Amino acid sequence: MLTICPYFHVHQPYRVKKFSVFDIGQDTEYFNDGSGTDMDNRFIVEKVANKSYRPTNKILKELLDNHPEFRFNLSFSGTVLDQFETYAPDVLESFQELVATGRVEILADTYHHSLAFFYSIPEFKRQVQKHERRIKQLFGVKPKVFRNTELSYRNDLAKWCEDNGYIGIMAEGWEKYLGWRSPNYLYHPPGCKKIKVLLKNYKLSDDVAFRFSNQAWADWPLDAGKYSNWINSHHGNGQTVNLFMDYESFGEHQWEDTGIFDFLRHFPDMVMRHPDTSFKTATETIEAYEAAGEYDVPDILTWADTERDLTAWIGNDIQRDAIAATYRMEKDVMSTGKRDLIEIWRKLQTSDHYYFMCTKWSNDGDVHAYFSPYKSPYDAYINFMNALSDLKLRVDYIVQEKAKAEEAAAEKDTVKNEESKQPPPQKSQEKDPAKPPDPQSKPDEDVTSAPEPEELIDEPEPLFKNIWNRLKKIFPLVSPERKST
Amino acid sequence: MKVLTFSWEYPPAKNGGLGVACFGLTRELLASGVAVTLVLPKTQETRGDARFLFADTERLVKTGENADILYGPYNQAATTIESIIGYDSTGKPIYCSRSILEEAHRFAHQAAIIARMEDFDVIHAHDWTSYLAGVAAKIASGKKLVLHVHATSFDQAAGDNVDPSIFKIEKEAFDLADQVVTVSNYTRNILIHKHGVKEDKVTVVHNGCDAEEVKELPPTLVELKRQGKKIVLYHGRISIQKGVDYFVRAARRVVDVNPNVVFVISGWGDMMTQVIDQVGAMGLSEHVRFAGALWEDDRDRMYQCADLFVMPSVSEPFGLVPLEALQHGTPSIISKQSGVAEVLTHALKVDFWDIDEMANQILAALQYPVIGQQIVKEGKLQLLQMSWNKAAQRMKELFQNLVQYATS
Repeated sequence: MLTICPYFHVHQPYRVKKFSVFDIGQDTEYFNDGSGTDMDNRFIVEKVANKSYRPTNKILKELLDNHPEFRFNLSFSGTVLDQFETYAPDVLESFQELVATGRVEILADTYHHSLAFFYSIPEFKRQVQKHERRIKQLFGVKPKVFRNTELSYRNDLAKWCEDNGYIGIMAEGWEKYLGWRSPNYLYHPPGCKKIKVLLKNYKLSDDVAFRFSNQAWADWPLDAGKYSNWINSHHGNGQTVNLFMDYESFGEHQWEDTGIFDFLRHFPDMVMRHPDTSFKTATETIEAYEAAGEYDVPDILTWADTERDLTAWIGNDIQRDAIAATYRMEKDVMSTGKRDLIEIWRKLQTSDHYYFMCTKWSNDGDVHAYFSPYKSPYDAYINFMNALSDLKLRVDYIVQEKAKAEEAAAEKDTVKNEESKQPPPQKSQEKDPAKPPDPQSKPDEDVTSAPEPEELIDEPEPLFKNIWNRLKKIFPLVSPERKST
Repeated sequence: MKVLTFSWEYPPAKNGGLGVACFGLTRELLASGVAVTLVLPKTQETRGDARFLFADTERLVKTGENADILYGPYNQAATTIESIIGYDSTGKPIYCSRSILEEAHRFAHQAAIIARMEDFDVIHAHDWTSYLAGVAAKIASGKKLVLHVHATSFDQAAGDNVDPSIFKIEKEAFDLADQVVTVSNYTRNILIHKHGVKEDKVTVVHNGCDAEEVKELPPTLVELKRQGKKIVLYHGRISIQKGVDYFVRAARRVVDVNPNVVFVISGWGDMMTQVIDQVGAMGLSEHVRFAGALWEDDRDRMYQCADLFVMPSVSEPFGLVPLEALQHGTPSIISKQSGVAEVLTHALKVDFWDIDEMANQILAALQYPVIGQQIVKEGKLQLLQMSWNKAAQRMKELFQNLVQYATS
């Protein structure tokens, strides 16, 4: 008996539009590019829907209808579900139809396709919960098997998943940790009792996801028959072949003219010609087989690049700086209690933003391996940081106003207690704390009533100067140490 | 392999990128076994091991600190230069005033004589002032001619309003040359589209850069730095080609947001008064410093002190300055209308006319210092791959192909 456990990952980020320093404090929309280019989120979703989601779902539905044994798994980011709902509701419906067959399992994930687990576990947990609610709302199911952004994995993540009731987790089947062992069995993480790890068979997965259209590849062209033979050759030395790939491999990464749709259409039929080959969902796989051994991953493992690490996301200084700046805001953002600001902050956590700042290609000159809508990694960084700075301004404003309101309330109480004749301090009447920051009203003008007048400048300050001063407080300038590098 | 090379400028004379490029290429060609005989129009000090010939014994009149800049090939053809052509019986110098165009013709006349006397396999001439010399040498010797384009009249004019006498020389020389080498695809496209040179005749050999460790110099602009000012540097000729006026306009946008920035303009050129007037008219006197033309250590100190370097060129065939800045640990914003943008990925890039984006990048680079840190860290690694040796190997191959073809 050999079973195949495919999972297709569906994701689109909210790309940040062109946002210059001059937009800080002036514009509160970061994701609404309408240029019809690769920064325009609606345009991309519509484009990929036509090339990939619509035709692929049609084929998948036919396969489910014609092959009662055909099964697979889907994982969605919340950001792609939100964009389907807004830009392509029919695509969302077609996914709902697939799931309604009962033979398509949905995996647990972070809502915002983030790397939060490695930066803030409380935030990670909130995103996983939000994702679970959304999946329940849209598909009426509760995921039991977890997969993390970019298939990133570590022992403590598995432990977290076990502690939070998941029965399985996905990871890359990488020789560094497998040694001589096969990825085609289940494993258990060290220190865990129940949870099992499903390992990606990266050779067979990447044959489809990456190599399918590569004419320089010795096995090109790949057809369903040849591929089925490769899979069926694992009879006797494996239980499950886990094929994990981006959903967009079908039609977007591998275009229709490569024959990818024909491949998909014929694959289940061809592979099941072997009487002992079948399909299982992740949960069925975990319930069917015992763990064959321990899979011990002390360092972050992902499905990316030859290094299988996170260097494409946090490998250089600007990436690490940007992600650190994002998570530094957590306490303040959460304390605002403003749903819209928290949501924007989370959209900025999507891993794609940091990926766009990758400079790894400059070492091997392979620019195309790292597609980005931005002209350069530096442009991506500047754009992102400008948007983040704007968000930071809005958050800080609310935090300050809240603090002032609390202070004023406390003062009022003490004044009342002492003598009720004194009028309340004027300061508290000047601003409504609930109002969003209005760039026209200068938030710094309260300085005039502050005890230390040295920050005052005789001339009335131009609008930008205020913003700039606040910005400087947010990201204090580092002393120029670069000369030594 | 023996090469007869004609160049208008050569270190240590103070001049632009042409001299630097000639020097780097010649040094590496010599190192790889190519015998280079370098012909310069006037007697001057030289550097390196090439065999030098001077196309006359005249000396350049020193009229002031910046005299030899006026002798540069980047001026209009009609610009005049004064030379001492000899001395009378009382020992008084005899002056002669010629235009650059006349000088180029005189150079060509001498080149023909030299070409008849010298033994060589191929001719290599740098930039328009030497094209005529190259062509004359080819006619005199029958050897193959390679023209090396470091700039064109379209770059100097920053548009289509070119100097017709330079364009005429370029056009005719390109037609007569056996191969034309440009320092970038950017310039190659100009040759193909503006001069009508056939595509297969133009080869791109990107300039290199010496990735030597630079010495730490005593700091400059100490007082400004002490006040916490950020220094944004322009270094280059002050001419329409270099886009200094766009730099000043971007400075206005920057200062509106962050008054803590000082813009240093280092260089000299025919647009000087216009730029000074512009700075005054835009109310930027407090924020712009004119440093004059800086050379050698003075220039390097400025590179080292600056927080950011900007090359806003309207049309830049290559542009070595951002690479120099990088060596001194200073990140750059470079014009997309430049050749260096094709090979340097670690820099911020902007269209020269996009003032807002230039200001955005300047502000961002000063505000988020990690950009500069990373540009310098990774950019220096990239510099190691851009050696003059690599450029010289390509030139050598090109010479060999030509000579082979000629003898077979």
